Amino acid sequence: MSTKKRVSTFEHYKILLGKDLRREFRTREMLSTMGIYTLLVLVIFGIALMQTSAKIDIVQMSGGLFWALIVFTSLLGLNRSFAYEKEDGALEGVLLVPLDRSVIFLSKLTANFLLLIIVEAIAIPLFFLFFLSGVEMQPSLPLALAPLLVGTIGIAGVGTLLATITINTRGKDMLLALLFIPLVFPLLYACVSATTLAITGGDMLTGAYTAGLTLAIGYDVVMILVSWLLYDFVVSA
Amino acid sequence: MQYKATIFDKLALPLLLFGGVLIVFAFVFAFTITPPAQGDAMLAVPAPIGDFFLTNIVLLSQKIFYFHVPVAMVSFGALVFTAIYGILFLKTRNSKYDMRARLSTEISLVFVLMTMVSGLAWTRSDWGVWWSWEPRLTTYFILMLMVFSYFILRTAVSDPERRAVYSSVFGIIVFINAPLCFMITRLIPSSLHPVVFRADSGLPPLMLIPFLVAMLGFVCIAFALYRMRLRTSQSQENIEMLKTRLEELEG
Amino acid sequence: MMTTASAITVQKMSKVFGQRKALDKVSFELPQGAFLSIFGPNGAGKTTLLRILSTLMRPSSGSAEVLGFDLKEKPGGLRNHIGFISHKPLLYLDLSAEENLLFAARLYGVEEPEQRVSELLAVVELTARRHDSVRTFSRGMTQRLSIARALVHDPQLVFLDEPYSGLDPHAVHIFDELLQKIREQESLERQRSFCMVSHDMDKGLDLATHLLILEKGKVVLFDQKDEIDRSDFVRHYHRSVGMGVA
Repeated sequence: MSTKKRVSTFEHYKILLGKDLRREFRTREMLSTMGIYTLLVLVIFGIALMQTSAKIDIVQMSGGLFWALIVFTSLLGLNRSFAYEKEDGALEGVLLVPLDRSVIFLSKLTANFLLLIIVEAIAIPLFFLFFLSGVEMQPSLPLALAPLLVGTIGIAGVGTLLATITINTRGKDMLLALLFIPLVFPLLYACVSATTLAITGGDMLTGAYTAGLTLAIGYDVVMILVSWLLYDFVVSA
Repeated sequence: MQYKATIFDKLALPLLLFGGVLIVFAFVFAFTITPPAQGDAMLAVPAPIGDFFLTNIVLLSQKIFYFHVPVAMVSFGALVFTAIYGILFLKTRNSKYDMRARLSTEISLVFVLMTMVSGLAWTRSDWGVWWSWEPRLTTYFILMLMVFSYFILRTAVSDPERRAVYSSVFGIIVFINAPLCFMITRLIPSSLHPVVFRADSGLPPLMLIPFLVAMLGFVCIAFALYRMRLRTSQSQENIEMLKTRLEELEG
Repeated sequence: MMTTASAITVQKMSKVFGQRKALDKVSFELPQGAFLSIFGPNGAGKTTLLRILSTLMRPSSGSAEVLGFDLKEKPGGLRNHIGFISHKPLLYLDLSAEENLLFAARLYGVEEPEQRVSELLAVVELTARRHDSVRTFSRGMTQRLSIARALVHDPQLVFLDEPYSGLDPHAVHIFDELLQKIREQESLERQRSFCMVSHDMDKGLDLATHLLILEKGKVVLFDQKDEIDRSDFVRHYHRSVGMGVA
C-alpha cells in the first residue's frame, strides 16, 4: 500500500519539464532537425545574397534575415514538441493526473524556449561566419541579445499554445505556420527593429532600440498571459 | 429547439436597404458638398514614398476616406463580437455562441477584404505606390491573414465541440493581437518609410456629416448581413435535426 | 467520501453538442467492488461515457458522482482515485519503463516512488526490462506497462477502454491473469471497482458483475449479471450491436 502526498504546482512543473528535457536529450529529435534545418536556411540565404555586393546592405538586412531563420526553425521544433505527446496518448495520461493544467503550458513553454536558445547558440556564430565576417562590428552589438531573448520567449509562448491546437487538426504542420506567423508578426516587427539597430549602431540607437525592446516585452507579457489563461480550455478539448 | 423569427429578422432586409441608401447619400454628399480636403491628410513635411515626394493629397484619396475608414472600423467591430461570443462559448459550452462567433468573423472577413481593396486604392492615389508597409495597412493585412486562418482552422478540426473551443480561443487571441499589431507597427519608426501622421480629430462639419452617415450605413449593412446569415445557419441546423429524426424513425 | 456505497451514480446525464446527442439521459448506479462491462454498437457513446466518468470530458447536463466526487464540481479530487487503461498506452515511447512509471508516480505524489515502481514492475513482470525504452517493447509488454502506469497511485476505480484491441492471444491470456490478480489482490482491504468498454462480448461477460448496453446514447439494458439469462443477453447483444454494423 502506498500513500500519497500533495504535490505543489511548482513540483509538477519540474517533473513535466524534466520529462521533456530528458526525452529530448535522449532522442535529440528536435535539436537535430532544427539544427540541420538552420544550416539549410543559411544555405538558401547564401544563394539569395550571392549577387549582392555592398557590405552596407548586409548589415542592415542581417537582423531581419536572422529573425526569418529563427521563425522557420522554431516552427519545425514546435510541431515536434507535441507530436510525441499525442502519438501514444501520453498527454491524456497527464490530463488524468490532478494538476493545474496551465502548468503543462508553462513547462512546455520552458522546454521549447531552452531548445530554441540552444539552436540559436549554434545559429548565431554560423550566421556571422557566413554573412558578417568581413564587416566591422559596432560596439552596440551585444545589445542584440536582449531582443533575441525576448523574441524567443514570445515565440515559445505563442507557439506552445498554437501547437497544442494544431496537434488535433488535419494537416497540422501547415496549419501551425498559418496560425503562428500572423500572430507573432508584431513581435517580429519589434524584434527585427531592435536587433537591426543594435547591429548597425549609430544615433538612432537609444530611443528606437528601447521602444522596440519595450514593445516586444509588452507583447510577451500580454500574449503569454492570455495563452496561459486560455490553455486549460485548449488542452482539455 | 425550434427557431422563431424575431423582430430583427423582419428588420434585416429593410435595414440592409436603408444602409445602402445612407452610403449613397454619404458619397454624393462627400463628392458634391464637402470641399476638397485641406487639413485632414496634409503631410507636415514632404515625404519620399516610392519615387515621389508628396506635399499634398490627391482628391480621390480624400474621398476614399468616407468608405475606407468606416469599413475598417466595422470589420474590427465585428471582431469584438467574435471575441465576446468566444468567451460566452467557453463559459457555457452552448453551440449557439460558437455559431454566432463564426458568423461575426464572416462579417469581419467581408469588411476586412473591402478595407484591403479600398486601402490599396488609397495608397495608390495618395502615395503613388500600390503597397507600403504603413501601420494601418500592415495591421489590416495581418488581420486578414488571421481571419483566413480562423476559417482554415475551423475546417481542419472534425469534432464539433473541439472545433468550437479552438476557434473561440483563436478568435479571442486574434482580437487581442490586432491592436497590439497596430500599436507596434505604429510606434516603431521604420528606417525606410516615414510614418505618415494624420490629424484624425477635429473634422470640419461638412466632412464629419458624410463620414458619420457612411459609418451608420455600414453598421446597418453589417448587422443586417449578420442577422440574415444567422437565420440561414439556424434553418440549416433545423433541417439537419429533422433529417436525423427522420432517419431514426425509418430505422 | 468513502462512506458512499456506490462507485458510480449517474442520473439523467447527457452529453449534447449542437444537434448531436452523444449521451441521452443516461442513468445507472454501480456499487463498489463491481465490474461493469459496457457494450454497444459503434458510435453508441461508450467511449464518451467512459471519458466523462474519468474526467477527460465534461457532461452537458444531469448529475454524475464517481466515488462520491461530483464530476462537474470536483473533477480534480476524483483524479487521485481513478486509473485508466486504454488501447493507447498513455506512455512516452522514448523513455524507459522505469522512467515512465516514476514520472507518473511523482506527478501523483506517491510516497517513495522508487519502491512503488519496483513493486509494480515485479507485478507486471517487466523488472528485467526496466531500463529499456518502451519503443523496443512488444504490444503485450507495452500493455502490461500501461496497466502498471494506471495502478501507480493505487486507484479505487479502474477504467478500461478496449484493452484487448491489438493484443495477440498470448498477450490476452497474460492480460487476463494480471487483471484477475489486481482484482483479488486488494479486494480484501477495500473494494476496487472496474468499468470496461470492450468489443469482445465473451471477455466482457466473463469478467463482469454488471452489464450495460448503450444504443444511440441511451441505456437500453443495465442489470446485475446474475439477474440476466446468458442466452437472453447474447440475443439482445447481437440485435443491438449488430444494428450498428448494418
